Amino acid sequence: MNQPVRRIIIVGGGSAGWLSAGLIAAEHETKNSNSIEVVLIESANIPTVGVGEGTWPSMRASLKKMGISETQFLTECDASFKQGSKFSNWLHGGGDSYYHPFTPPVGFFETNIAQHWYPHRDKVSFADAVTCQGQLCDNNLAPKQIATPEYAFHANYGYHLDAAKFSKLLQQHCTQELGVKHILDDVTDINSCPHSNDIASVSTLEHGDIQGDLFIDCTGSKSLLLGGYYGVEFIDQSSVLFNDSALAVHVSYQTPDAEIASHTLSTAQTSGWIWDIGLPSRRGVGHVYASDYISDEQAEQQLRDYIRADIGDQANTLDIRKISIKPGHRKTFWHQNCVAVGMSAGFIEPLEASALALIEQSAKMIAEQLPANRQIMDITAKRFNQRFSHHWQRIIEFLKLHYVLSKRSEPYWQDNRAQHSIPEPLQELLTLWQYQTPFTFDSSRTEELFPAASFQYVLYGMGFDTDLSWLQKRHVPMQSVQQYFNENNKKTQHLLRTLPTNRELLNKIRQFGLSKV
Amino acid sequence: MAKHVIVNNEEHKDIKIITKRSAELGDNIWYAQTFPQEFRAVQAHYPIFFSKNPETGQFLPVALFGFKHQENLFLDDQGWHASYIPAAVMRQPFLIAQQTITENGEEKQQRMLSMDMDNPRVSTEEGEPLFLPYGGNSEFLDKVANMLEALHFGVSDGTQFCQALTDMELLEPFTLDVQLQTGEKHQMIGFYTINEDKLAALSNEQLERLHKDNYLQAIYMALASQSNVRTLLNKKNALEAAAQPA
Repeated sequence: MNQPVRRIIIVGGGSAGWLSAGLIAAEHETKNSNSIEVVLIESANIPTVGVGEGTWPSMRASLKKMGISETQFLTECDASFKQGSKFSNWLHGGGDSYYHPFTPPVGFFETNIAQHWYPHRDKVSFADAVTCQGQLCDNNLAPKQIATPEYAFHANYGYHLDAAKFSKLLQQHCTQELGVKHILDDVTDINSCPHSNDIASVSTLEHGDIQGDLFIDCTGSKSLLLGGYYGVEFIDQSSVLFNDSALAVHVSYQTPDAEIASHTLSTAQTSGWIWDIGLPSRRGVGHVYASDYISDEQAEQQLRDYIRADIGDQANTLDIRKISIKPGHRKTFWHQNCVAVGMSAGFIEPLEASALALIEQSAKMIAEQLPANRQIMDITAKRFNQRFSHHWQRIIEFLKLHYVLSKRSEPYWQDNRAQHSIPEPLQELLTLWQYQTPFTFDSSRTEELFPAASFQYVLYGMGFDTDLSWLQKRHVPMQSVQQYFNENNKKTQHLLRTLPTNRELLNKIRQFGLSKV
Repeated sequence: MAKHVIVNNEEHKDIKIITKRSAELGDNIWYAQTFPQEFRAVQAHYPIFFSKNPETGQFLPVALFGFKHQENLFLDDQGWHASYIPAAVMRQPFLIAQQTITENGEEKQQRMLSMDMDNPRVSTEEGEPLFLPYGGNSEFLDKVANMLEALHFGVSDGTQFCQALTDMELLEPFTLDVQLQTGEKHQMIGFYTINEDKLAALSNEQLERLHKDNYLQAIYMALASQSNVRTLLNKKNALEAAAQPA
């Protein structure tokens, strides 16, 4: 039982496999030490799904940790800057919209600014009152300048990227710079230890049995190890989040200098929503929907109608790819000496682009909390399972929040508001928020994936009513709060004047690169 | 707005250039670009730091004359008090324009001396004439042309120099905190300097590469020039003291 954990076998490539490999190898400096070995086995015959074209700001820290130059990443992955999401037609469907930006509200760490904004809600949207980011996005502006060092910013950002190119860059960087061993082969069998339930090795077609101390399952929705071998239960979440299908398509720009959007645009439809992501060389557009409410043909029609508005009848001939989504996750994620990262752990619709963020969080925890030996691994596994069960629950509730606040009248939207489809913790929070604005005590953990700020943006973006009249008696230091609003206003005006557009900055980065300092 | 024209002896036969130094003529600048070949002369008077070109994000070496916008501590009503003024300042109102010419059916880039007609140094009344009465270049114009040629190659070499520093990750941002005798404080951000620990840890091959282009000497001159911050501070203190009521 005291066997040290030395050899980590990752089964499956793609973003999950390579991000796990890179973050673990970087944390343990595997290139220059013999203590930890990271091996990634990838089938040459299984294509990656290639979804997950949006990241959170956490990706900046992940890339930096792995020692990848941001200039190289941006240019090789056809990547652009993402400063948040814009939701259109989610409230009534008549052209309403709001932003969920990546920058927390001004003064967020000192005060609950939402309750001070609330009395002025008829004059200014919550996002505009507390951040500059919605207006930067309205103008397709970049979050930084050419003289801003790599990974630094004027406005917080993540990325939009080409998932296939991203995996390729990660693979190259992991094998050449981080000492990750890459085996191209098919896994044919999983072999258990003679005296325990642990996995001893995986058999491959051409490389024989590959032994390991810890196995990371990155085999996608097949969940070869955790689901297939161990039979860990899958928790279906389709009664909460109805979407089970997606249609994806690539759309060219009409001119080479077309503006590149700084946000993921999410436009509600009758039975789902359409994502729209701008990369430097093309857009990625897709329709996520619930097949109980709309046929594939109708969904495709809505997608083509959406694209036609921009590019005309070319929209009729674009190649559309269908993806099935089985919303849900495993009951546990780390079982024995096997842990699942990515779609093998679970998958839900990409509404807040949580897929890559969860991969990063998982890989980071495995890397930083890597158990020294088999004896303590069960404790690490328990802690990992507690944390990620909580993360999944919170993500599901946060996504559901987007639907329950809608006032749209189609059956899909009405059913989304049915009480039995809303998780109880979310019902409780919604009741609380009738009398108080979301804030830090709403969550019980640090490193929460969605902070209270995100709940504020969505709640008040969707026009939620909070009755704060009972608070009026309290002393509120209005002057200092006014300073926050002024500060935001000043910063907004300054950045609107000085920031380049995404297209301008990305062109300059291709020419000059970003400096490290 | 600047109005750039190629210098020629017909249109510009009566043009004179005012060469005295004053704030009205645009010398109230707090730093200017410099380049390794003039570091020896520059470091005798001014601190040399590095700054980023806001248009490209690329580093360039600069000579510092003051602590804030429009403050040149070497400049007063009598002129600029230093035996060397960086070429990037001296060149005004001239610059080099790239012109595409066709020679034997082949397109070539040619450097042409041009000037900014809106620059206050351009005059017909006073200053150094550009041309002799019968159209030949004046000695002044020949000197200007030589200086601009040197500046052109110097700036291009300076770009190489900064690239070498960036490749070896030798540049680091720093904040210069200055406190005057009056208690007044200035904080300057946006400048970069050479990290001496990293410099000391360079490999033989890296040192060889720097030495080959004479950049090692430039690095040590830039480092030594930092003591001129004290010169600037003394000038500033003297100025403040003179401004105080006795």
